[in-house]
Formats: sequence, structure tokens, C-alpha cells
Amino acid sequence: MMTTQELNDLKADLVVDARGTACPGPLLEVKKSIGKIDSGHIMEVLSSDEGTKRDIPKWCQKKGHDFLGVIDEPGYFRILFKK
Amino acid sequence: MTMALFSGSIDRLTAAGVVISGAAADDMEVDVFVLLQGARAFKKEIAANTDLLNMSESSNLKEEFLQSLQNLKVKPWLDFFKEAKELTTVRIHICGLAGKLWGGEKLEDFVDIADDICGIGEYITSAQEADVHLFI
Repeated sequence: MMTTQELNDLKADLVVDARGTACPGPLLEVKKSIGKIDSGHIMEVLSSDEGTKRDIPKWCQKKGHDFLGVIDEPGYFRILFKK
Repeated sequence: MTMALFSGSIDRLTAAGVVISGAAADDMEVDVFVLLQGARAFKKEIAANTDLLNMSESSNLKEEFLQSLQNLKVKPWLDFFKEAKELTTVRIHICGLAGKLWGGEKLEDFVDIADDICGIGEYITSAQEADVHLFI
């Protein structure tokens, strides 16, 4: 797992802002957006839904993506993974 | 995944929609068999009218439930099914008997996301073959 500093230093290729939507909204936004980035690129998901912090890592594991970590921000989370 | 959707209550329909969305995110193939009360909810003139759909539990909390869904920007139950069909293979089968119970003889009597009208044998076969089988 990367440190918060290392995560903060990453530059995402695509940011998906799913703040304000409840489960399963963020996961569906990720699913709809995954085709927009190439293999090896990084997606950053912004979510205010607590369950997303657990959903995305499990989804990444099943789909073969490399989950990088979560950064807590005031009122939301930044979830990063590499396709 | 095979889902037997017996319930036509708005709370269970919403739950079913959330579950199917999760399956869609996982690229699972989903067969939904709409049984008895569920078939009523899938009728064209009923599906989008929350006044015509009850709660399965705590009926006194229906307005609070609907308001909370709206506050949380949760889409109407039918939209979950529509979106899931756009993301993965979701087939929606209306039980022939159930349809008739509610005056629905033809596929056109139901919302346009319904794929066909089927018999119980198809449901049993699907349930036998599925990795995941839910009854809601």
C-alpha cells in the first residue's frame, strides 16, 4: 500500500467525481468510466459514500486492477487505482 | 445471477435494483424472473407511479422512504434496471401466469425493458445453472 504522500504525488489520468451520490452510484460511475482510460493509467474516484472505500478495492481485485489507496479529505475520499 | 423478483413493493424493488447494479458493475449476466406481485409493478401504467406501489414493511414510512431516496439522489427503482441493462446482459422475464393475474397478456403490456414472457421451467433451469440465485 502506498503512503498518503505517495498517493498525493500521483497524477490521475482520469478523475471521476461521484460525490453526492449514494451506493451504488460511485461504483457504477467507475464501471462506466473504466473504458475511458488505457491499461496502466490511473483513475481517481471522488466519493462521499463511506461504502465506496470498501467497494472499489474489492472491485479492483476482481477486475484485475491495481488498487493504490484512499486519501481522506474533509467530507469525501479520493480513491486511486491503476487499470 | 438469477433473481426471482416476487415482490412488487417499492422498497424491495429498489433493493433489487441496487443488487442488479452491483452485478452489472461486475459484468455478471443477470436473468430476472418477475413473479406474481412483481409483474404488477412492471406493468406500464404502474411502474413509474409510486402512488400505486406499496412498501413491503413499515408502510407508514413510505413518504419518508421516498423523500430520503430523493435527498440522497437515488434514482427511481426502474432506472436501476434500465442502467444495468446498458452496462451488462440483463434479461427480464415476466412470468406468464403473473402477467395474466394483473391483466398483462402481452409483452407490450409491460415496461419496455421487459424481454419476454416465460414459463416456470425457464426459471427453474436458470436457477439450476446460476452461480448466484436470489429470491426477493
